[in-house]
Amino acid sequence: MIPISYLVLVFLFGSVVSYLITKANRIVGAIFNFLLTFYALFVLWNLEIGHTEKLFSILEGVENTFKVSSLGKYFSIISLIVISLVSFFIIEWIRKKPSRPAAFNAFVLIMSAGIIGVFFSNDLLTLYIFWEIAVLGSFLIVPMGKEDSKKAAVIYVVTSAIGSYMYLFATFSIYNKYGILEFDQVSRFLLNEPSNLFKWFIILFIASAGIAKSGIFPLHTWLRITHGNAPDAFSAILSGQLVKMGSYVLAISLSVFPSTKLLASFYSGVPLLNYILIWLGNISIIIGTFMAIRQNDMKQLIAYSSVANGGYILVGLGVMNSIGYAGGLFHVFNHAIAAAMIFLSFAAVVYRTGTTKIDEMGGLIWKMPWTFVTYLVGIISLAGIPPTSGFISKWMIFNALLTKGMFVTLTITFIGSVGSFLYVFRPLAGVFLGQLKKKHYEVKEVSPVMLIPMLVLTLLTLFIGVYPKPVLDFIVSIENSLGIKPIEYSGTIIKTSLGQWDTLTVFTMFAVGFIIALVLYIIFPRGKKVELTDQYTGGEYLFNYDLYHYATGFYRFLERLYDKHPSFEKLYGMLVSFFKSMGEIINELFYKVSPSGYVFWISIVILILFWVRW
Amino acid sequence: MMTIIRVAAVLLTGFFVGLTLEGVSRKIIARIQRRYGPPWYQNFIDVFKALSKNGITHGWIFDFGILMALGGVIATLAFVPLGDLVAFPGLDNLFIIVYLFAVGALGMAMGMVGSGNPNSSIGVARALTQMLGYEIPYMISVSAVMYYYKTASVSELMLSQQDSWTLLKMPLGGIVAFISLLGMLGKKPFDTPIAPAEIASGPMVELSAKYMGLLMLMHTFSIFVEIGLFVDIFLGISNYWTFLIKFTVIWILATLISSVLPRFRIEQVVKFYWKVPLGLAFLQALFVLLGWVF
Repeated sequence: MIPISYLVLVFLFGSVVSYLITKANRIVGAIFNFLLTFYALFVLWNLEIGHTEKLFSILEGVENTFKVSSLGKYFSIISLIVISLVSFFIIEWIRKKPSRPAAFNAFVLIMSAGIIGVFFSNDLLTLYIFWEIAVLGSFLIVPMGKEDSKKAAVIYVVTSAIGSYMYLFATFSIYNKYGILEFDQVSRFLLNEPSNLFKWFIILFIASAGIAKSGIFPLHTWLRITHGNAPDAFSAILSGQLVKMGSYVLAISLSVFPSTKLLASFYSGVPLLNYILIWLGNISIIIGTFMAIRQNDMKQLIAYSSVANGGYILVGLGVMNSIGYAGGLFHVFNHAIAAAMIFLSFAAVVYRTGTTKIDEMGGLIWKMPWTFVTYLVGIISLAGIPPTSGFISKWMIFNALLTKGMFVTLTITFIGSVGSFLYVFRPLAGVFLGQLKKKHYEVKEVSPVMLIPMLVLTLLTLFIGVYPKPVLDFIVSIENSLGIKPIEYSGTIIKTSLGQWDTLTVFTMFAVGFIIALVLYIIFPRGKKVELTDQYTGGEYLFNYDLYHYATGFYRFLERLYDKHPSFEKLYGMLVSFFKSMGEIINELFYKVSPSGYVFWISIVILILFWVRW
Repeated sequence: MMTIIRVAAVLLTGFFVGLTLEGVSRKIIARIQRRYGPPWYQNFIDVFKALSKNGITHGWIFDFGILMALGGVIATLAFVPLGDLVAFPGLDNLFIIVYLFAVGALGMAMGMVGSGNPNSSIGVARALTQMLGYEIPYMISVSAVMYYYKTASVSELMLSQQDSWTLLKMPLGGIVAFISLLGMLGKKPFDTPIAPAEIASGPMVELSAKYMGLLMLMHTFSIFVEIGLFVDIFLGISNYWTFLIKFTVIWILATLISSVLPRFRIEQVVKFYWKVPLGLAFLQALFVLLGWVF
């Protein structure tokens, strides 16, 4: 059995090797990255739960250790699936992009080392250390994207720092009070803690790292800027994997420290603290959905949808009953895979067309059919429509909320769910369907190297949608280890107190319906294939079919209803400019370039010294 | 084997009763407008005539979208209990039916936008927006029912109405669901996505022949799913025949209402649904939580 610490060291050392190889040959370097991440996936898959390793000891009385828990294994396998498939995609993609391929490859490995460390940490401090390694690696990759990406990286790291410093503060408070940091011991001490305020403070401050990382309101603004401007293939890792690190910390703060046992129930078994977090999730769903509907940049659109889906995960985890918690965890898997699929298909589109604006494209389905298929299955899963896996988690979350009688939250999850039909359709119609632009007549499908990871993800989504047992097994073992009643299922039938459904029957029935339609389609006479330019135009003669494509302001009639919405991005912008001007004043006063300024300050200081008479 | 027969029975009922009732509704509208109107079997003629012609297609996504639409709706219909005719007992979860229904809607939207005509894109954008309008109040009113009876299975929801109909127990929820039903059916005043005089029938602008025929079938089946759910959940226990009678009454009621009303603009649709029906639905949910059910 290969130890985890060895794996982390291999990744850190491998980043140097990868840097050197990529300097010599980009493609070989990318292949090296893929092999290493795939090997890591293999190692993690075979890890035994309960395996422990000692690392080092920084604080007195605290052994920093790795321990394999079901929760960590589940998250790390999802992460490595995403990272290794994106690495495969990068083998071809790295030929054109990014600006610094060697550094890019090296930082991807550093980030992966951090991620593996985070998921297997057994105490709060080790988690923090590896967390910062992962943030560092990803933070240095972001500026290699579009022109705005330097600013995006700063916003990303500042938001992340807000969360992680609050986390660190909570960590040291625990250490001051109890002198321990291991998760099990902390939760045992917290159970005996008389002060409710301290419990609130600990859980909220630890959760804030997760809130910042998974883009939950009020720290959601970085997602649009960072996902939108990061290198295209890396956006898939950002949204599919790094955001899930936040969900992991949220899961820890709510379930490893058992919030339902620590705090009194507020409404049908849910404590007030969880309720507040659920409300943050609700606000994220609303903001993410309605802002995604407005976006014209396809990457920013899906970035906002990540905000909404982070909200779903938080709502599911916050409910903390057997079905809600399972729904939240299942949604982690679904959103990771769906976001990776969607961002990879966008990366393929950008690779060929060089733009991310929806209204600058159109009709790419005729040139890139497989990319389209990936996007289509991705959005079906993201919107939570059967027979893909995305529906299962949404169904679980709906059931959990309904059994608890939380109608307002239920309404908001419905809005998020129907709203997702709207926003995922916008790139579908604008980029892939409709009239092909003249400048894109020569566009070709991307090479098989890029298509393979996309199609693997597509098949995975469909497979889990029909046969969810592998993921459900994981969830059952996690719920068992955390003392939550595990969900019930037998074969492909998932059961709740409200009833059951069978994924296989739904899929079979859909296949039967499709076959009936196909038979009808075949037995009746064939239609004549006409060009897309052969259209009903109401009698007009059109010269430029580029303009006969409805993509700009797709939902303008709906957007008009909330044009004057309050914006947190603007609020934070105001804060930033306030601090900037304060800084300028200080700069003006203390760091004046002119000698007279220095003379003035020196004389003031001397005067003060004389006055105080030191 | 019994499952296959039951599924076939459901689908054939949908086909014959649905098309007949669509013909009847044309007749009713004609009489309201003091015309003679077509015979009741006109829609059978229309479908078979359309299916037998040579039309035009705009490429594979256009065809695939239509197949996905019809396939999705057929799959959805198979899960809807028609009175005591239940194809998949125990598996007719309401969430499944509502979301499987979205497959058909997505397929149709994709195929029609794939035709490359901006009229159909506008129609689809409007249809999705309208869905955002009616789906939320509908789901809340139905959720209140599910919360009250502690089950999400449609046939169990029907069987739990032994003492009185849900419509009488939760009148507000029933009204909300009926208003939402008008939006689902695309009946006036909620026929904005089609809007023949504005956007050339919206999504259907490029359809011809076989494609038109298949989508007419899809439309018939969708009507059956939408009204069928309403009848099952709100209108008491019914066997196969009483189900069809209740179904006919609701369909004629919807036709009568729609034939005398003008059309909303799309933002008015959303505003209306999120004000009145959503408010009433919340009120109903509150009553259910407080236990104020007749």
